[in-house]
Amino acid sequence: MISTALAVQVESIRKVFCQEAEDVCAVRDVSLDIERGEFTAIAGPSGSGKTTLLNLIGGLTRPTSGRISIAGQDIVAMSNQELAKLRLREIGFVFQAYNLLPVLSAFENAEFQMLLQGVAKAERYQRVTALFERTGMAGLRDRKPGKLSGGQQQRVAVIRAVAGRPALVLADEPTANLDSSASESLLDMMYELNRELNVTFMFATHDSRVMHRARRLIRMVDGVIDSDERYR
Amino acid sequence: MKKLGIIVGLAFLNLRRYLRRTLLTASSLIVGGALLIISLSLGDGSHEKWIDSGVRIGTGHITIENPEFRTRRTLDNRLPNEVRNLAQAAFSVHAISENIASVSVRLIVKGLVSSAVGARPVQIVGVDPTAEAEFSALDEQVIEGRYLVPDDRFVAYIGVGLAESLNLRLGSKFVATTQDTNGEIVGQLLRVVGIFRSGVTEIDRTLIHIPILTADDWLELSGDVTNISILVKNSDVVPTLVNRLNQGLSEPISNEIITIMDWHEAMPELDNAIKLDDFGNYVIHGILFVIIGFGIVNTVLMSVMYRRREFGLLQALGLTPGQTGILVLIEGLILTITSGTIGVVLGVLVTWYAWGDGLDLSSLVSNEFSFSGFIVDPVIFPLFRLSRLIQAFVFILIIGGIASIYPAFRASRLDVAEAMKFER
Repeated sequence: MISTALAVQVESIRKVFCQEAEDVCAVRDVSLDIERGEFTAIAGPSGSGKTTLLNLIGGLTRPTSGRISIAGQDIVAMSNQELAKLRLREIGFVFQAYNLLPVLSAFENAEFQMLLQGVAKAERYQRVTALFERTGMAGLRDRKPGKLSGGQQQRVAVIRAVAGRPALVLADEPTANLDSSASESLLDMMYELNRELNVTFMFATHDSRVMHRARRLIRMVDGVIDSDERYR
Repeated sequence: MKKLGIIVGLAFLNLRRYLRRTLLTASSLIVGGALLIISLSLGDGSHEKWIDSGVRIGTGHITIENPEFRTRRTLDNRLPNEVRNLAQAAFSVHAISENIASVSVRLIVKGLVSSAVGARPVQIVGVDPTAEAEFSALDEQVIEGRYLVPDDRFVAYIGVGLAESLNLRLGSKFVATTQDTNGEIVGQLLRVVGIFRSGVTEIDRTLIHIPILTADDWLELSGDVTNISILVKNSDVVPTLVNRLNQGLSEPISNEIITIMDWHEAMPELDNAIKLDDFGNYVIHGILFVIIGFGIVNTVLMSVMYRRREFGLLQALGLTPGQTGILVLIEGLILTITSGTIGVVLGVLVTWYAWGDGLDLSSLVSNEFSFSGFIVDPVIFPLFRLSRLIQAFVFILIIGGIASIYPAFRASRLDVAEAMKFER
């Protein structure tokens, strides 16, 4: 039964990567519910399956078996076109390597997903300006990614991810390339957006700072959930 | 539609960002396009000269004859004087007359020329000296004496080959014989008034021009002729003009008294020579552009591989695989359209600048080089036809478009999760 109250509902998903030597099972029968407004970290050592789980939830990889629903929509049976539409409307991504479009300015990057969504220009301007001001990026809006520090680029990536008002933001090791001060600052920003705008965040991380900030911490080992704890 | 606008905008920005790669790909298309235009304009210019030379020495861009004349070449297959008048009336229609450069009415018969040293078979052509001087370049090829003038009677303008073989000089008398309309052998005493050298040995040995009035009296034809030859101002209008003449002269055509032929039909050797030369050029252009096409595929494909993460990101943000492929295709098309335009313009400018006054190949070929019965001028003037420029541009566009399809396909098929892992 798919629940629309949940941001994410995962039922017994499994992902097997076929390789030449042997098949590798990256995620084994994982079930998981993420409520709207959660701030969840998925932690675990390299190869534990956390990034694969995030990719499965984000519709970037298809599961071998099981069921995933995002904002009440079953994504496993969706075509590539439908998945693209779902990602456009319901999911924001933040990647380890920032992944801003190099040809666009910070402001244009931040509004890009909304542009694809068809949000009106005035509305895009209002949302991005508000987020830039809230996150201390107002003076950097016209800079190209190459002229921004890693921390600043990642802030733009977070603004891009939340500006389209998705049901869920998936962040894969968002602090891995940042120094500690930039990481703290980015986490403050995401934490604030989560609390004030009720944006649902899911992180894949092995950064202890992210784990400490998370209100729910899921630990994975060898493709299975080892522990699932909620705080505060 | 709005998304397509975003994709096009992004494509422009990407081309600008990867400027070195853009310029590298563009340069091959620009150079290829320019070479194509140089080759086509010089080729067309050269062919136009061949055509001009061929039709002037032959039967014009368009010829009106009896349907049987070409195969039988007898006076039985002549054009009656009434048809000649009908044709003149048709030529006076503005839509026809505005395209005509000159008209020559000819009486062509096979015959024999005899002098004290022997006899030679010839083609005797009765001409109106004024009209013929405008029509053909033969009057300018005089080496002794002069060309015919309107008051001339019983004189002939002969080739140097014939003069030498029959030991004829200026003022020499000789007898021309042929068959009249009754099949009787009739002779006419003529005097050499001029000797020409056309450069085509066959013509110099066998062609003689005499005044058409002399021929008419001699053969008792009362104004009948065998050919009405038309030169047009621009060979591109030949098909249109043939259609108009077919309409204007529909009655004698339907009665099988006349037929109207363009130079392709009347001079198949010339037509085939041009087609053969064009074919050789097309093969070379094809090879050139296949090489350029592979170069583009290689560069664009490398670009797609290099930018895998960028394309992965676009799909993660909500572009569909198809839209990602379209982005690559549009980048390729923008590049091709821009480069193709620059290449075509550059080709025109280079050709104009370097060979606008003619490309002189006289060091490679003799001044009297002839081919299929017409003289090949060693100086080539480029000819720029709008239709050719459009053809070349479309050809470049097709090659660029085809070369972008495979990279676009690869971009649309990438595994997003894998692409996002990709480290460059």
